[in-house]
Formats: sequence, structure tokens, C-alpha cells
Amino acid sequence: MSLNPHILVIDDEPQILRALRTILTEKEFKVTTARNGEEGLTMAATGLPDIIILDLGLPDMDGVEVCARLREWTDSPIIVLSVRDSERDKVAALDKGADDYLTKPFGIEELLARVRVALRHSARKQGSKVNLVVAGELQIDLSWHIVKRNGEEVKLSAHEYNLLAYLVSNRGRVLTHRSILTHVWGSADADHTEYLRVYMRQLRKKLEEDPERPKYLVTEPGLGYRFVGDE
Amino acid sequence: MHNHSFARKFLFYLLAVALVACTAVILFFLRDTLDKTLVALLYLLPVGLITNLWGLGPGIISALSAFLSFNYLFIKPFYTFAVHQPTDLVILMVFLIVAMVISQLVGRAQLGMATAKDRERDATQLYELSTILVGLHNNLLISQVLAEYIQTTFQGEYLELEISITDPQMTILPHGATVPKRPPELKLPIQAARGVLGEIRIWRQTPAISSTEKRLLQTFTSQGALVVEREQLAQMESRSKVLEESDKLKSAILSSVSHELRTPLATIKASISSLRSGEVNWNSNAREELIALIDDESDHLDLVVGNLLDMSRLESGALYPKREWNILSEIVIGVLARMQRLTGEHVIDLDIPDDLPLLPVDYIQMVQVFTNLLSNSIKYSPPNSVICIEARVRDETCMLVRISNQGPHVPEEDLERIFDKFYRITAADRVTGIGLGLSICKGIIETHGGKIWAENQPGSFVFNFTLPLDLDGSLPPQMPTEIEPE
Repeated sequence: MSLNPHILVIDDEPQILRALRTILTEKEFKVTTARNGEEGLTMAATGLPDIIILDLGLPDMDGVEVCARLREWTDSPIIVLSVRDSERDKVAALDKGADDYLTKPFGIEELLARVRVALRHSARKQGSKVNLVVAGELQIDLSWHIVKRNGEEVKLSAHEYNLLAYLVSNRGRVLTHRSILTHVWGSADADHTEYLRVYMRQLRKKLEEDPERPKYLVTEPGLGYRFVGDE
Repeated sequence: MHNHSFARKFLFYLLAVALVACTAVILFFLRDTLDKTLVALLYLLPVGLITNLWGLGPGIISALSAFLSFNYLFIKPFYTFAVHQPTDLVILMVFLIVAMVISQLVGRAQLGMATAKDRERDATQLYELSTILVGLHNNLLISQVLAEYIQTTFQGEYLELEISITDPQMTILPHGATVPKRPPELKLPIQAARGVLGEIRIWRQTPAISSTEKRLLQTFTSQGALVVEREQLAQMESRSKVLEESDKLKSAILSSVSHELRTPLATIKASISSLRSGEVNWNSNAREELIALIDDESDHLDLVVGNLLDMSRLESGALYPKREWNILSEIVIGVLARMQRLTGEHVIDLDIPDDLPLLPVDYIQMVQVFTNLLSNSIKYSPPNSVICIEARVRDETCMLVRISNQGPHVPEEDLERIFDKFYRITAADRVTGIGLGLSICKGIIETHGGKIWAENQPGSFVFNFTLPLDLDGSLPPQMPTEIEPE
């Protein structure tokens, strides 16, 4: 990765492109832009960006399709942009390999936070695995399967631990219901969101200081969950 | 109408002659005691009677036969038609004239009465038909009633009634009969001022359809045509009323929306331009204030646009809930977390028991319901007052959620109307919003199979809504049990 990470923005709205180019260049990213899916795919192949920001509503092809085509050959993080209330598209894009999403209109801090998470995640993938994850008073040891809260070990059932471990190893990223269910319970139970709801409540009771206002195990309405750890 | 068959008519003539003959025989035996003028008078009796009973024809025949038998039997010389005395001739002539006149008069009166009766029947039928038809509001019923009416009146072998405009209908009577293999005896167009609306076809060979019947049928048909046409016009009118209503709604939306969209835009524009102009000190509080304002107002714009989109989705039926088993408290807590900045001035009292069953709802849509109800509660209740959110299982079929605030009461007559689109009790410029939030809540709750209503309670105003506990008949799923670690 070069010093200035390269971000490719694929969006058909010139105003959005203009704003993102200005803001991201200001933040010392190298920014390239594409106005439609075809152009985006070509530029991704030639420019090899570190991150791709992809709008789901493109004029020439479905954003979800672009996402799937990108995933055929690149592991670069993809952050999808979409308008409110298109949860189904977002879920489809996330299930097709997108790493994160942002809903238009979004704040720039939000965008930068997602970009940072995505960059860290791809760095983690390339570098050595971190086995001890810290989030506030929580310590999660992924190699020894030990979870500690304020230094005391918390007993978790097998499903609870698997659920936590999956979220933690993807910390910062949104994971869809389907992907969590498939990963923790198996593909036969991929539609049983109720398992997820119930286990998540149990996990929060065991790990969160205030289970009603979770800090680490965050709900993404209509999409899934996200684990927020220390930076 | 004269439906008497030929044989019947012939019988009447025969009877007329026979009755006159009887009278002649009786009078013949009294010939010596009765004066011939008296005989002539008595002869008039059967003539009048016959005409009265059987009509003009038999009356005239009876008058003639009475005249002949009177002459033959009672005028000297007997048993001839010859007359010797001039007085007898006078008597005979007077008798003939009187008999003819009587039978004519009585016969005509009879005929007139029969016609009047026919006319009266026609009029009654027409009246009945139009009374029935007036109450009908669709072509199917109109054509059925008309066809049945015509069928009972005309007793045809087969009848087809076809209405060929907007909502085409074809009625066939009697039910289940097959079409005769010949052209119909009578075809009548259902003709209205605006053109032909359909056709009536009647098959009836015997007795042949008379011209009177044809006329009556025409009257029936035009009655039917009138009703069908009236119905058509009524439909057109109601369609244009609907259009007019939606037109009114559209202009209401436009004025409300342009106001709602312009206000935040105006704020944003004013803030930005003052920031750009360099008039505001770069490090002053004012700068922070303006930037916060821009942020808030753009969020507000987003909310307005979102509500408009949701409303149109709800109306077009595109906002179909994706119901899944959810934990209600998780939804509410998520909403509260996101609304933190707005709820800051109020105390939120959350009362949702931990042991509530899973609820089959669309997560995102329920987020919207809580967001809208809460923002409404915040908007209308004083700062630092309490907003209480509570949820209970009401009975085995549904969950009841109550959101109460300490805002002012809503007049009883407006309690239902606050869920209407663009309806607001307060003047439009005092409170922001386009009056869509509550109607979206109503739409969402109703597509979930629940009910939403508002009520005034002592010291508070409460939104209530229910949600069914079952998902298409099935109850919350059982979790696969797992052994808890020690």
C-alpha cells in the first residue's frame, strides 16, 4: 500500500463526485472517479485502488452486480452508498462481498471512519493475525477462546462465543444477518434471525455495561450487527 | 289486448245466437198474452246482456237474430218475414235501430274499458320496473332485473339481453336454456341519447308478438337504457370527483411540501452565505452555531423527503412489511440512541419488560413508527416533561404499545383525524412538519395487522398501537436449547 491510499469513487452524481474528491483529497487520499459501472470496473482493473466507494444506483448496471464482478478478482474493500430505505439492496451488496455501507445523505466523519476501518481490515488480512482484541473493558482472546471483562473471565456458551468471535474478527465492519447465521449456525439456519436476536441479547447482558445502550455490539437496523472495538 | 282465439270468438257468436233463440222460445209460448211492443222490449234484454258479456260482434249478431226471430215469430203474418201492417213495420224498424244502438254503445264501452285496463296494466308494469331499476347501481343487476321483468311479462321461449358499453353484460333467460336455431322473432336496440347501449333479443313464435307488446317492450327498453345511461353518468361523475379530490390533495401536498422544503433550505443558504462572506469571525461561537444549524436543517430535509417517499410507497402498496421475529426493546433502544439529540430536552421513561415474547415485525418500519411517534410527542409536549414508552402483552393475540406525553389534549373530534394525511390541528406555521408522520405510522401498523389510536388521559396524551403476536398463524419459535456454561 502506498503512503497515500488510493480511493476509487463510482457514482453517477457529479455533485457527489465533486464533494468526495474535494474532501478525500484534502484528507490526503489519492482519488479517482468513475461515472458508471463499466467505467468503474475498468478503472478498478487498471488503477488497483485500495478502497472502492460504490453507489448502488448506477445508470448502466446494478450496483450489486458491480460489487459481485469486482469480488471475482479483487479483495479491495468496497463501501456501498445508497439512499435510505433500500435495505434490501444494501443487504444484497453486503452478501455479495461489499465490506460496508453508507446511507445518503451521510456525514463525512462517518465516511472517513468507514474508510479507516476498511483500510485496517485489509491490512489485517495481509499482515499477521491479531489474536487479542480489546474493546474498552473487554478482552477477547481469539486463539484461547477466552473472553474477559474487567479482567474477569466471562463464561459463554458455544454459540455465544462463536457469534462474538465472528463479529470480533470482523470488528468495525457490518455483518449481515444471513452471513452471521450461516457462519455461526450453518446455512440451514440462515433465515432464523430470531436466533440472532435472542443470542445477541444474551451476549449484551454478559458483556455490555448497559445492555440497553450497547457500545460494542451494535445493531445495524435491517442489515445486521457490527462489533465496535478500540481503534 | 285480445288474446281470444278464433274458436273462443266463434263460441261467443254461437252462444249469442243460442241465447236469442232461448228468449224467442220462451216468448213464443207467451205470445198470446203479451203485447208485441212488450215482446220487442223483452228482446232487448239478451241483446244488451250479450254485448256486455261478449263484446260488440256477438252483440250485433244477437241484435240481428233478435230482429229476424221477432219478425218471424211475432209479427203477423206469422212464420214469414213479410210485414203487412205499417205499424208493425215501424215497430220492427224501431226495434232494429234500438237493438243495434244498444249493442254498439255497450260494445264500445266494453272495448274502451278493455283498452283502458290494458293501458293501466302497462302503466303499472312500467312503474314497477322503473321503481326497481332506480335502486340499481351496476350494469349486471340492471340487465338481470330488466331481462327477468321482460321475461315474466312476455313469456318468451328464450331471451338475450346484452349491454355492450363500459361494463359489458349478457343476461340469458330462462337459465340453462339453449339458443333456438333460428333468428330471434324480435330484436330491439337499447337506445339512449348517447348511442346504442345494447340489444334485446326475444324468441317467441306463438303467440306472435303483437304491436302493442312491441310498444310496451320498447317502453321497457328505453326505461332500461335510461337507467344504464344514468349509471354511466354517475360513474363518470364519481371518477371526476376522485380526480378532483386527488387534485386538491396534490395542491395541498405541493404547498405544504414547498413550505417544508424551503424553510430548511433558507436556513442552510443563509448560514452558508454568511460563513462564506467572511462576516463571521472564524473562531467565534457564531460560526459553530451556524454550522450546527446547517447540519440540523439538512437532517430535517432528509426526514421530510423520507416521509414523502414513505407515504407514496404506502399508498402504492409498495411498503410491504418484511416481518421477522424481533425483540421490541432492541428496536426502541436503537431509535432512542439515534434520536438522542432530539430527546435531550425530555425525560424518556422506558417500561418494556424483559420477558416479552419475540414480535413479528419489520424492523426498519417499526423504527419508523417509534421515530415518528416520539418526534411527534417531543414536538407537542413541553421541555423537561416525561415521555413514557410502555409495552405489554394485552392478550394471547396481540401486544399493546403505549407512548404517552404530557402535551396538551387533542379535541375528541380530532383524535381520529390526526392520523390523516396533511392534517394538523395547530396552524401550519407554528409547528414544523407536513403532517405525514402519523399517517405513515397508521399505514405501517395497519399493514402489520395492528391498530393505532390516540387518546386523552388525565394529564397526558397517549398514542396506542397493537401488533399481532403471530406471524401468519405461527407463534414465536422456540430457541434450540443450549447448555449454559458453568
